[in-house]
Amino acid sequence: MKNLWLRKYYGYVTVKIEGKGLERFINKLVKENIRIWNVKRQNQESITFQMFVRDVPHLRSANHYHRVKLRFLKKSGLPFYTKRLKRNTGFIAGAVIALLIITLLSNMIWHVEIHGASPETEYKLSNQLKQLGIRKGGFQFLVDDPETLQRKLSGRNEEITWIGVEVRGTTYRFQVVEKERPEQQKKKGPQHLVAKKEAVIVDYFVEKGQPVISVHEFVKPGQLLVSGLIGKEKEPDFVSAKGKVLGKTWYDTKVEVKLKNKFKVLTGNEVRKKAIKIGSRQIPVWGFENEQYKYKQTEVDEVPLKFLKWTTPVSFIKMTVREVEVKNKTYTEKEAKKLALSLAKKNLMETIPEDADIIDEKVLHEKVENGKLKLLVSYDVIENIAKEVPITVN
Amino acid sequence: MAGKWRQKIRRWVTKQLDLPEDVTMDVPRITMIGQIHIYIENHKGLLSFSDKEIRILLTRGQLLIRGETFVIKTILPEELLLEGKIEQVLFISE
Repeated sequence: MKNLWLRKYYGYVTVKIEGKGLERFINKLVKENIRIWNVKRQNQESITFQMFVRDVPHLRSANHYHRVKLRFLKKSGLPFYTKRLKRNTGFIAGAVIALLIITLLSNMIWHVEIHGASPETEYKLSNQLKQLGIRKGGFQFLVDDPETLQRKLSGRNEEITWIGVEVRGTTYRFQVVEKERPEQQKKKGPQHLVAKKEAVIVDYFVEKGQPVISVHEFVKPGQLLVSGLIGKEKEPDFVSAKGKVLGKTWYDTKVEVKLKNKFKVLTGNEVRKKAIKIGSRQIPVWGFENEQYKYKQTEVDEVPLKFLKWTTPVSFIKMTVREVEVKNKTYTEKEAKKLALSLAKKNLMETIPEDADIIDEKVLHEKVENGKLKLLVSYDVIENIAKEVPITVN
Repeated sequence: MAGKWRQKIRRWVTKQLDLPEDVTMDVPRITMIGQIHIYIENHKGLLSFSDKEIRILLTRGQLLIRGETFVIKTILPEELLLEGKIEQVLFISE
């Protein structure tokens, strides 16, 4: 049949007619321009044929004219198919919703565990986590990624040395290492105080022990400063020498400063984009504008969608494209020197103990070479040079 | 008698002008494809139909087809396509 597709599209029915003079009935249908096909004789008194659904009313009017018994055997084609589909809509919708719910639940946070923290810290942390959106029933894709979390948490909490963030399925695990509190001073055994490094003694405060040095004395590393041996020579008494010995020490620092510098400065212009990534293909969801920055810096945050324990190839992407401006700055020698000195001081501060004081700064050597200013600076620092050394009694 | 005269004139014109007979005269055009298909144009209706025999009314006379497993594939006011195993095609005059 030529328009088989058309038949399927419009929908057709198989009709069985029973009675006498069925040929006349068929002639009547044909005259009324009703398309019928596959006319088959079933037995003496019945014939089956197929016809379009839309012609069924005509069939009934023809039946008024010539009485036969009509029976519809089979309904085929698209209209009936969609009708059947509609009847099953509930079931299909249910399946889709169930799948959606499972996906949604797979991407939620169901447990937040904090390990290794003291009760106060744990309480504080759990409050902070709630602020950051990490709570039971929160969505993983609305929460920062582990690295950012780690940075934020360790920035906010002074008492935490290190915090490890781990996402395992729907569980967030935080491993906390707290800073140790100064413990109660242990009873120490007998000890001397000796010099840590070369220095000139400026001052000393001795709590216990016998100082064997005087102010303005030059000491070498390892030299005895405060003795733990007191009492008479014949019957010595051992104590744990304790005290501070402030000595003037010297530090040499080398610094180099480029006279011509390139800076990258954020201009503050930025474009935020959101996208859904499927496989390696990205579909933008938000932020379609094409930024036209000459220099830019892109930050990408990717959160994969999970299904049960698997990660699907689908992931949500947050992108921030920031405009960067490159600036050239040329220092005069004077400016460069100032910068170099502050840099040198900063370097020094990192190496010396916190309670040390810088008392003098001397530029020993200054040279401009290959567009760089090279500086050798010497610092006089007053610091505690005492080091505890236990006395071994033979 | 008028009908007969008309027929005679038609036949004469058709012959003289070399026109196809099925166009000018009210005769059926029957096409057969092997034993499987028979295609009849210019029919005037179905007289009787079973899976072994079909009788079709023509302008003049009837057409009787005998065979096995007959199915009318299409039936339109002037066309009819029959499928099955055709064994005999008979013209029955008035």
